[in-house]
Amino acid sequence: MNDFTQQIQDIASRLLDNGQVDVFIAWHKGQQDFQVQPYFARSADEAQNIIFNDYSIHNLSNSLLKFRDSKEKIGIVVKGCDSRGIIRLLEDNQIQRERLYIVGICCPGMKDPLQAMRDELGFNHKPESTELAAKCNDCIQPNPVIYDELLGTEQSPRVQDRFARVKEIEAMSADERYQFFEETISRCIRCYACREVCVACDCRTCIFDEMRPQWVGRENNTTDNLMYHIVKASHMAGRCIECGECERVCPVNIPLMLLNQKVIKDVNELFGPYEAGMQYVEGQKPPFSMYEESDPDDFL
Amino acid sequence: MSVENNNEWNPKIIVIACNWCTYAAADLAGLNHYEYPADIRIIRVPCSGRMDPLFMLRAFNRGADGVLLSGCHPGDCHYGTGNYYNRRRQMMMKRLMQFVGLEPERYQTSWISGAEGSKFAETMHKLVEDVTALGPNRKLRDER
Repeated sequence: MNDFTQQIQDIASRLLDNGQVDVFIAWHKGQQDFQVQPYFARSADEAQNIIFNDYSIHNLSNSLLKFRDSKEKIGIVVKGCDSRGIIRLLEDNQIQRERLYIVGICCPGMKDPLQAMRDELGFNHKPESTELAAKCNDCIQPNPVIYDELLGTEQSPRVQDRFARVKEIEAMSADERYQFFEETISRCIRCYACREVCVACDCRTCIFDEMRPQWVGRENNTTDNLMYHIVKASHMAGRCIECGECERVCPVNIPLMLLNQKVIKDVNELFGPYEAGMQYVEGQKPPFSMYEESDPDDFL
Repeated sequence: MSVENNNEWNPKIIVIACNWCTYAAADLAGLNHYEYPADIRIIRVPCSGRMDPLFMLRAFNRGADGVLLSGCHPGDCHYGTGNYYNRRRQMMMKRLMQFVGLEPERYQTSWISGAEGSKFAETMHKLVEDVTALGPNRKLRDER
């Protein structure tokens, strides 16, 4: 891990010094070792603050959206899942490839900062057995799919049974399922952290902010929350890159990836093998912007 | 319309119909005097490509007991491709709605062309039967 830090610092200072990039996006240390934060270095001096450790879990590709209207050149460090986010943004024409210098890291799996905090403070009544963060346990793409420079050695996917949770819910009856979602989603406080952190959420005007017409109520009650999460999951269809950030940032522990993975599973089954953001082909369209005449329609 | 004061429950069903096919089929059903239940309310949209899944969610939210989205047969779209896009969306959306616990009978989709007045009447009969059997919908209903 330490050699990654050194390598990233070297690359960042090199790029910032010779003007290849205007800003370099990586992580820096927060108050504690496990409180790593996203960091935007703008000079070679600042690049010395960059750090990469077990807790560099944040998906940085989302922060590229802040630069979509500028002309600045950007250097960015990505792990496997983050690099799929970059492809998502390229597919949506949110950023130009020429403006990016991508440093890929073959990700050995990250640890959960929250769990580390609980351990540190002694509040961990239920020490979880897993070493890695929940989102890293079922990783299908630890290696970057798009990069200019690659660090580390290629890792093998850690996936065991991606859709285990989905299958578990599917086995329940309709009323049981509704009750389950009512219970979990009624916890939602509508902080929209899951939307803000999402790399597939790149609309300039979000439907949930729109007042006229107001499609989804903004009240914090079970049905409006359920509406919010169903609409969000359907907007993620064919776009979710399974970085698991929404679930990680959720302050009330809603299993948000459950809905997303259900949609991923269905899109996979219905419209041929498809994983969002696996490779960038110019002009390629996501599954809901195209159609095949032979698509299934067994709903009749 | 007279207001009847009976306590019998009748389902509220929203049919979102494509202007070029299903709406014409409803018209034809009327012309041919095919009877169908009066529990359905038809909303006309220009094409099945216009049928946002939000319409369905919003209908359930606002008190519908069942929703049917209906448009032209694949290949017959007035605008060429609208129903193909709709088909993909509906396939995904129906499965997602079932996943969150909505009964599949409440949210239906069908292809009815402008010449199928009798099929329209049949579909409405079937739909009302299905939804009546399930009873009033409480899922996704607005709490206000």
